[in-house]
Amino acid sequence: MSLLHVEQLKYRYPNRSVLALDEISFTVNKGEFIGIAGRNTAGKTTLCYALCGLVPHFFKGAYGGRILLDGDEILASPLSKITSKVGFVFENPFSQLSGAKFTVADEIAFGLENLGLPREVMHERIQDSLHMLGIEHLRQKNPFDLSGGQMQRLAIASVIAMQPEILVLDEPTSQLDPQGAEEVFTIVEKLTQDGMTIVMAEQKMEKLAAYSDRILLLHEGKLIQDGEPAAVFSREDLMELGVEPPIYTTVAKKHGLRKESTGCFPVTLEELLAFDLDEPLEGLFPVQEKIETSNIQIEELSFSYPDGQKVLDSITLGLSSEPIAIVGQNGAGKTTLVKLMKALLIPSDGRIVIDETDTKATTAAKLAKKVGLIFQNPDDQIFKKSVLDEVMFGPLNMGIDKAEAKSLALQQLEAVGLAEKAEENPYDVSLAERKLIGVASILAMDPDIIIFDEPTMGQDYEGKLRLKGIIADLHSKGKLVICILHDMDFVSEVFGRTIVMGQGKVLFDGSTKDVFSQLDIVQRAKIELPHRYQIARAIQQKREFASPTS
Amino acid sequence: MRNMTLYVHPENGSPIHRMDPLTKMLYVFTSVAISYLLPSHLLVSLVLAVSILLLVDGKVFRSILPIIGVSFVLLASILVVQGFFHPDRATVLWEIGPFTLYKEGFSIAFLILLRVLNMVCAFGVLILTTKPDELVETLVQKGLSPRFGYVLLSVLQIIPQMMTLTGKIMDAQRARGLEMEGSLWVRVKSFIPLLGPVVLRSLAETRERSIALEVRGFNSTGKRTRLHELPLYPYGVAAKALLAAILLTVIVWRIWS
Amino acid sequence: MRMVRTGLWSFRFSTAALVLIPAAVGINYIGKLFVELLKLPLWVDSIGTVLSSMLAGPIIGALVGIVNNVIYGFTTSPVSFVYAITSAVIGLVTGIMAYKGWISNIGKALVLGFVVGLIAATVSTPLNISFWEGTTGNVWGDALFAWMTAQGNPLWLASFADSVVVDVPDKMVTVLISFLIFRNLPEKVLTMYDTKQEIERL
Repeated sequence: MSLLHVEQLKYRYPNRSVLALDEISFTVNKGEFIGIAGRNTAGKTTLCYALCGLVPHFFKGAYGGRILLDGDEILASPLSKITSKVGFVFENPFSQLSGAKFTVADEIAFGLENLGLPREVMHERIQDSLHMLGIEHLRQKNPFDLSGGQMQRLAIASVIAMQPEILVLDEPTSQLDPQGAEEVFTIVEKLTQDGMTIVMAEQKMEKLAAYSDRILLLHEGKLIQDGEPAAVFSREDLMELGVEPPIYTTVAKKHGLRKESTGCFPVTLEELLAFDLDEPLEGLFPVQEKIETSNIQIEELSFSYPDGQKVLDSITLGLSSEPIAIVGQNGAGKTTLVKLMKALLIPSDGRIVIDETDTKATTAAKLAKKVGLIFQNPDDQIFKKSVLDEVMFGPLNMGIDKAEAKSLALQQLEAVGLAEKAEENPYDVSLAERKLIGVASILAMDPDIIIFDEPTMGQDYEGKLRLKGIIADLHSKGKLVICILHDMDFVSEVFGRTIVMGQGKVLFDGSTKDVFSQLDIVQRAKIELPHRYQIARAIQQKREFASPTS
Repeated sequence: MRNMTLYVHPENGSPIHRMDPLTKMLYVFTSVAISYLLPSHLLVSLVLAVSILLLVDGKVFRSILPIIGVSFVLLASILVVQGFFHPDRATVLWEIGPFTLYKEGFSIAFLILLRVLNMVCAFGVLILTTKPDELVETLVQKGLSPRFGYVLLSVLQIIPQMMTLTGKIMDAQRARGLEMEGSLWVRVKSFIPLLGPVVLRSLAETRERSIALEVRGFNSTGKRTRLHELPLYPYGVAAKALLAAILLTVIVWRIWS
Repeated sequence: MRMVRTGLWSFRFSTAALVLIPAAVGINYIGKLFVELLKLPLWVDSIGTVLSSMLAGPIIGALVGIVNNVIYGFTTSPVSFVYAITSAVIGLVTGIMAYKGWISNIGKALVLGFVVGLIAATVSTPLNISFWEGTTGNVWGDALFAWMTAQGNPLWLASFADSVVVDVPDKMVTVLISFLIFRNLPEKVLTMYDTKQEIERL
């Protein structure tokens, strides 16, 4: 018998008029890995909630159909009984900590104490899950002192220790940097190999393709397809559903390479390499037109925090003319650098001159018209009742009158694709959409220089497409765009110039193409290679291996 | 920012550190109660002396001084208001310019002062030498609802986290042209843009945290266990009995006399 | 446990309600922190208490008040333990009045603030009298107290006046700010504390 049996499931959140889930049916067998794909509003998270009983027990609302877990109907079981069988891990690592335990080991114990397990069993299980997740060395640390990737692994450890029969993961890496994401995926892979039954919603299709036995493709609450990764990702209408197939499939599609046995496209690197194809390294990277823009001159810039910790070490850069990407590991000093450009921090040494203005002689508020800085987390700024009011806040602060501010705001909401949500409460839309509200709220102030800090994090295919459009548009209007990024695919598709930072220094500054061809820099900065570049290199290596004499 | 409690751990601990938190709680109650029951300066001074002695024994006497400092305004106010303005004014103690300090008022003020000082010091014995998680753990094992124990401890973890938000929020709003300095009106206007994001964020986060807790069986109705065993506290019962006896004696004595 | 159907006085707390307590205490702290940072001439240290009462009712509000003072006592000043009752009453009164509709507009909210201030002063007065013969430690209030006692007014009246001049304006500002923020809360948060929600079958 199947472990999880979903039958005609329908669900609507309280006070909402549309169904979040609409007539969904599928089954999950023991040991299977089921992927959930779909755009940001497709209903992936709601489906995850339904599988672990939070829908409807926690959220209430209107519920139809049924889910059988081990033969028991979820609607009729108490939530605590369901959660003892279904483990659930979601996006935000921070809010998954219980918040009342002072060490990693105690944090894992939290769920076990609630289950009422004897002390010896608890110690054993804590030890086992620490070991499995590779976080034994963190045992006595305060959970809040961990990095995002470590916190997320702790969240998984805490759930695994409760020995659930199914693990449900809802975009567990969407809020992590690439290194943290890789740490988590390594664990997911290991759990899959150990035979754990896993259901995972995810935006990184390469990962879904690699792990999944089957993929559920959702769109607007409906189940569009339940099939093998190759079948799902070979769909012609995939992009219209807001899902970008794995990069390997895209390349194969371009070359028209279908597997003979199934008629489907390959979905992993190995499958792709089975074909004989040529993917030249040339032409992979864009060259942006150089135009007249504002200019940032950074001279011998150093910065230390009051506690003496040195973050930036004599940096000299000239920024102008074209969109520029800044990349590098966490702690490289990227965010500190852009805060200095916005006069939110004062240089310890050296200076930054923006056109004619030295940042030491001005304030962030006075720079509003010149430099717009869009922070990573929109929730640090949102406080208004409606999306429109939130976007109008900046222009109003600049002394623009209400009618004008409103038209500026609406214009920018149109640009980020949120015009129809102008009257909604910002917190009632998704985090990815809130990030776009953050973008609009700065663009509405119409600054000459726009700095983005990690705009792509948590965005789906359509969100990224929109950001590309916005950057191109700003560039064509003569604005200088600077962008901090972890997403190297995005870097390699949009930016002609890339600055690589590491340990407070500039490791490289030049064309994007040159960054990725210098492997020592890539390694030193601990950045990843863009997927398309990886494919091209793999093909090249395969060829060299095949014909060693040439 | 990480640690917001006042707990101090001297090297090797101290006998007071090793005492049962419940005994210490009972001590606070007894000490404060009898300081208000006893009418004479001498007796209240004795009670205060005991609290100070315990602080010294706990190697934390120095740490009580800043805590007394926090209550300085209250203490000074009592002294001034009662000393100069108490209605029973008869005996002049001191004259400073146009103001006269009276003995009756001063005597009352001094007694209150001793009591407040004792209150701070007695609480200090508990606060400075007891780890909050040990205290909550003890209370839970003595029957406090574990769900409520969770609430108490999570306050201590979550407030420092919220504090780190304040810097980010100020940056984000200044980046949108918010002025935080200047006239009173400018500063008043910036209050909601600063506090608003904290409130919204933390309330939105309660939703996610509730989910995380539900998933980990926070609401299960079965019997719970605890990972940590409590240490054995020597003389716990004797100490508590002694404290109760003292309190009772003072009450009986006050009613009789 | 699910969101058990609860009335105004239910003591059965949902997880969401319990998790609200630390967040609300945190809001109290941060509110006070920003007031100090902006050098505003206010006290305003109970915005979280008031907000939680508006959201989750009088019992949770009262608990927030008590926990707030206990934690403040543990982390800053033990004297705060004495006023735990006052804080609890602030949460209680706000919760009841909010439930009865006194936060439907700004005018009503100001009345609510006034009432809360008055009741807070009433509760604090006996505490102030029994613990420190009537003063509050607030310079302006205590000056009034000194003047009134010197004029021969009874102790309780002077002490009450001392509290009122501090508490009433402060609570009116607190409730006003809380009301302005409360109006902006998203449905996502509001429905979580709406205890009338039931599962509907499709």
